[in-house]
Amino acid sequence: MRSLAALLLSVVAATAADDPAGLAFFEQKIRPVLAENCYECHSAKAKKLKGGLYLDSKAGWEKGGDSGQAVIVPGKPDESLLLRTVLHTEPDMEMPPKKPKLADAILADLTAWIRMGAPDPRTQATGEAKRADKFWWSLQPLAKEFKHATVDGFVGEKLAANGLDFNPPAGPAALITRMTYDLTGLPPSPEAQDAFVAAHAKDPKAATEALVDRLLASPRYGEQWGRRWLDVVRFGESNGFERNFVIDDLWPFRDYVIRSLNEDKPFDQFIREHLAGDVLGKGRPEVEVGSAFLVAGPYDDVGNQDKVAQKNIRAATIDDMITAAGGAFLGLTINCARCHHHKFDPIPTEDYYRLRAAFEGTVHGRRTVVTPEEKRAYDTQMRPLAAARAKAQAEQDRLKKEVDAKALELSKNLRPKRPKVDIYGTEERFEAHPARFVRMTMTAQSTSPFSAVGAKLSEVEVWSAEPTPRNVALRSAGGRAEGVKNATARDFPEAYSAVLTIDGDTGAQWFIGSPSVLTLTFARTETIDRLVFRNAKGTVKDDPTRGATPCEYFIETSVDGVTWRRVADSDDRQPFTPAHASARFRREATTPETAKALAAVTKELARLDAAIAAVPPLRQMWVGTHVAKPEPTFVHKGGDPMKPAQPVTASSLGVLDQVTKPFALPADAPEGARRTALADWITRDNPLPPRVLANRVWQGHFGTGIVDTPSDFGFLGSQPTHPELLDFLANRLLAHGWKLKPLHREIMLSRAYLQSSAHRTDGAKADKDARLLWRFPPRRLQAEEIRDTLLTVAGKMRLEPAGGPGFRLYDYYVNNVSTYVPLAQHGPATYRRAVYHQNARASVVDILSDYDLPDIAFAAPKRANTTSPLQSLTLFNHSFTLDMAEALAARLTGKDPIADAYRLAFRRAPSAKERAAAEQLIAKHGKTALCRALLNANELIFLE
Amino acid sequence: MSDPLELTRRRFLGQMTTGMTGLALSRLLMSDLGAAVPPGAHFAPKAKQVLQIFCPGAASHVDLWDYKPDLIKYDGTPLPGPAEVTFQGKNGNLMKSPWAFKPAGKSGKMITSNLPHMAKHVDDIAFIHSMTSRSNTHGPGCVAMNTCFTRDGFPSAGTWVSHALGSLNQNLPTYVSVQDVRGEPPNGKANWGNGFLPARHQGVSLAAQQPLRNLARPEGVSDEADRDTRAFLRTLNAEHAAERAGNDELRARIAAYELAAKMQLSAPEVSDLSREPEHVHALYGTADANPLKAAYAKNCLLSRRLLEQGVRYVSLYCASRASAVDGFLNWDAHKTLKSDYDRHCPIFDQPTAALLTDLKQRGMLDDVLIIWCTEFGRMPTHQVGTSGRDHNPDAYTTWMMGAGVKGGVSYGATDEMGRRSVTDVATCYDFYATVLHLLGLDHEKLTYYHNGANRRLTDVHGHVIKPILA
Repeated sequence: MRSLAALLLSVVAATAADDPAGLAFFEQKIRPVLAENCYECHSAKAKKLKGGLYLDSKAGWEKGGDSGQAVIVPGKPDESLLLRTVLHTEPDMEMPPKKPKLADAILADLTAWIRMGAPDPRTQATGEAKRADKFWWSLQPLAKEFKHATVDGFVGEKLAANGLDFNPPAGPAALITRMTYDLTGLPPSPEAQDAFVAAHAKDPKAATEALVDRLLASPRYGEQWGRRWLDVVRFGESNGFERNFVIDDLWPFRDYVIRSLNEDKPFDQFIREHLAGDVLGKGRPEVEVGSAFLVAGPYDDVGNQDKVAQKNIRAATIDDMITAAGGAFLGLTINCARCHHHKFDPIPTEDYYRLRAAFEGTVHGRRTVVTPEEKRAYDTQMRPLAAARAKAQAEQDRLKKEVDAKALELSKNLRPKRPKVDIYGTEERFEAHPARFVRMTMTAQSTSPFSAVGAKLSEVEVWSAEPTPRNVALRSAGGRAEGVKNATARDFPEAYSAVLTIDGDTGAQWFIGSPSVLTLTFARTETIDRLVFRNAKGTVKDDPTRGATPCEYFIETSVDGVTWRRVADSDDRQPFTPAHASARFRREATTPETAKALAAVTKELARLDAAIAAVPPLRQMWVGTHVAKPEPTFVHKGGDPMKPAQPVTASSLGVLDQVTKPFALPADAPEGARRTALADWITRDNPLPPRVLANRVWQGHFGTGIVDTPSDFGFLGSQPTHPELLDFLANRLLAHGWKLKPLHREIMLSRAYLQSSAHRTDGAKADKDARLLWRFPPRRLQAEEIRDTLLTVAGKMRLEPAGGPGFRLYDYYVNNVSTYVPLAQHGPATYRRAVYHQNARASVVDILSDYDLPDIAFAAPKRANTTSPLQSLTLFNHSFTLDMAEALAARLTGKDPIADAYRLAFRRAPSAKERAAAEQLIAKHGKTALCRALLNANELIFLE
Repeated sequence: MSDPLELTRRRFLGQMTTGMTGLALSRLLMSDLGAAVPPGAHFAPKAKQVLQIFCPGAASHVDLWDYKPDLIKYDGTPLPGPAEVTFQGKNGNLMKSPWAFKPAGKSGKMITSNLPHMAKHVDDIAFIHSMTSRSNTHGPGCVAMNTCFTRDGFPSAGTWVSHALGSLNQNLPTYVSVQDVRGEPPNGKANWGNGFLPARHQGVSLAAQQPLRNLARPEGVSDEADRDTRAFLRTLNAEHAAERAGNDELRARIAAYELAAKMQLSAPEVSDLSREPEHVHALYGTADANPLKAAYAKNCLLSRRLLEQGVRYVSLYCASRASAVDGFLNWDAHKTLKSDYDRHCPIFDQPTAALLTDLKQRGMLDDVLIIWCTEFGRMPTHQVGTSGRDHNPDAYTTWMMGAGVKGGVSYGATDEMGRRSVTDVATCYDFYATVLHLLGLDHEKLTYYHNGANRRLTDVHGHVIKPILA
């Protein structure tokens, strides 16, 4: 878009006529002098630009350097700083530096040139700056005076300058479709369209205004524009990185965004709540939830033990907050100043760390977010229950202790005949006998005398009684092993299963489940005399077991699988620990009185636990926690947290010091005060947020912003196509008290918005993408709009509940880390608006992902718009489309199903040709085939 | 009179040389005309396609490729220097590899005796022994080895290549990610995601055990109904587009449906391994008694078929993400190196070696660059109380082979114990600068604007590793 901006500049400049004689003088006398004496330090080609001044373009000297004043005042040599410096009349600024003064003839030429008005043809962008300085357009105060009083004034002026004009107004059908999608993300109903067309015929202006007002008042508005905002603030409901756990309590933030937009909450307040809702609205959950913004991004929670890695992870976590805040509210890529001064924008690396200081105390996580009344009510209910429970627990502990002491005493009399179980291999011998089945029932493990659930075994061998014994249990010998496991890896069924005990390998383990019984079946009946089981799988002797080993058990065998014979047990083995020993004697040690008391207290505990569980828990939300006294913040040299340089404190960005009221807090400023100070600085007299926000609103309506890089108003971003209009809109936004709805209304009732999207050759030739708005730019629907349209057209959309926990279009499971598998079948439980989908990172969702739903690793202030065969495969073949096609077909119950289908899908009648083709298709393949085609049609998903 | 739509489409394709949608389609038509500098390339390439073989879980350099005699000599003694705390905690003494190393090939390259089939290829391989990673964690490490960034959201190398060079075929995806039967690698999709590049450049998941998503006709729809529905849709869209001059996107979407229909026919064909003769199956080991090895062997064979059909970039995974048991589902041998690698090496060895042999025999190494990756290395010590090794981001081995690569060479080196890379230290940036170079791309020129920066695959780093170029 840079080239377009350059084109526009040149068009405008060409209209300003210059005196040919003056230009000739410039070319002959002035340009060579500037090139020879000045360009080395003051041009785009300069190795290092001095004083921020460019002399290789007219714009350069007009803008001036760091002084901020034009260095040449046309017609006034005396007031021209440039002349004073070369005349050596400006103290300490003699030019060219460290060189003799220029020849008198040259100085005379320069003076003459300035006197004649400094004609300079160098208006092309050749001498464009390499980076922005503090005079960069977006960093200037908002303009307050305007040539025009309406949006159309600005747009029309630019069109006229390019020899273009608006299209005629759009027809009412196109208009209601456009407006309904724009404000709600859904198609209008056929009835609503009919009503509007009728009203429009009577009084187009009144009908259109009424329509905009109706749509702005719809709860669907917040869902549509809220979705757009969620993209901007990189809202994602899993933590990303290696584990990528789904976050189930971040949805209140999504509902907060939707609610705030529906209420038309002033946006400055909305921004302040994002940064410091927990401070500003303490005890008011509906405000506190706003600061979930800080922790809505990805973060690494892997539990790294490496100290350097921990520091880097923390730095990256805070960097995400800085990046998000800089982009969303200021349109600045402050994060580019993490390792060095920003390469393109005037942001020194110190400023990055000053901003970091504001976020230093913020930590990802969930906490209780309730009103004081809720907390009090909860405490009132819980306090007596908790006290009673503590008392009962103490009584139970006392009784158990009493029993244990006696049991331990009794267990001292035990004289075990055999050693305790060996985790590296325990052998049980028995007399040789035929068997086809062996069953091992485990009742305790090395870490618990009460159960074997959760213990592990890596191998169980059963040996034949013969001169060269064989392990007859082996899977490779035709053996089978069955037993319940207590862990699963869903995409790898054999993981953790009992069969791993007979794979001939001590590597992988069986994770023992409940009941803790292993049943081995041999290929045939064998004569056996020995069983060996082991857990430890290492080859080094100091290798501990991975988890606990079963240590109390009995072994039975059988020939037919019906009658079993007990052949070995652990009863005569030494108990694994004293706790195991006393457990064996606990029953003996318990008197009837104690047993009765224990039973009573256990019952009481169960009753209290049930009562406690019945109290609704206090609401938890993923809003982050805050350390009251954060660690000091240092500049990191080269962005390396292991190289701290000078300390910094929370402060505003220096580059805006002359535009906004700066702040600088002391090092010991309380955590919350840092974020509120930052929030205030961002939202008070700062020209960036209203500019950035007005641009986002414009982008929402027209598909492309006045600035095409909506979260980057810096040097690498694109220039505004209509800079005055942007400031005009920003002013309107402020005049409306930061409320969006009146601004929507102004824009949507403009001629620019209401015009038709019809193609025109002259327009396309001059401005292919219609950035100048010679037509309303048509667009493809976005991912959510496509899916929601299919649901709506099929009559399956459930608009309620509008909020609450999200639904999932993926199967989610955890085996140490997370896996997301897209659902092949969607089903009615998912037939809600896409904004309520639980939006996990690094997950694939059919249809949505295909149509450019961003993987929200970063903010996505602008959606991509791609076309690929994979999209077609998905939309044509996915069961969801077919389900919707069937649902739509089921709605075609009238006399004229084809007309009904076209009315529901496109809200128009079929042409004669279309009708004929549709009749044929229905005759051969039924109504569903027709509906499947309509749901794949371009007409359905292209908005005009 | 020819089909009006066909005419429109041809005109559209002819006219569009730039722009979001036109690019890919016009490239399809121009696919591989044999130009010295193909469209998108900066200079004449040495390689046209890439086969990436990725062993996730941090495959141990000192137990596979990087022979360290001192590790045998000092086995059981402390690593000089202060005791280190790494990813999972404390480290014990030095621990020699449980397997002997043996010289292989004419080059006499020492490699583990646990990979006897791979040993036959060492004379064609250029080893890079001095790799270092910026992360000691699997997910970020894997993502970095694919995108050069440790956080999610950046385009993978395959995506960049697809974006830069486009497709070499007309009816298959450009970039295919072939995942292991045991599951996705750490961080899953982020390894082959498009990041901020257009979605059509993302790696498409396809494996012997997992057909292309949504490829098949829906259940209950007959072939004829499918065709008639498409024909009806085509007419509907053509009329709609005819009334809307100058909207290229509409035409692009019509063309996309045509391509999808072609893909529906060709993708099952390329995945149909029964078309391969018996001796090829035997070479790869697709019928091996070990189901994990057989499954991986099938994916190796599938990869060859994909490359043969002109898929530009194939990422083939051997093993999956971290599981509740370290080293069980992937190469992450924290606790029991011996039994873990006795399980993983045989799965990897024969099928991978067969794939290399097969590509070589078919002359495909003239076009195909093979790169072997893992996310980082392992410690030369054992973890306290175990017989496994912890993560080591300071040293690991990768290798390249095939088009444009010198065989039988070793670049860079680790110290005597394999603890740190010390000679010609290399990074993922250097690795991919080299890959792009072989594809005719200057890694500093291949850029894309995103959120305030002109992004590169190699971030702001990287040097082509010239000594391994043929």
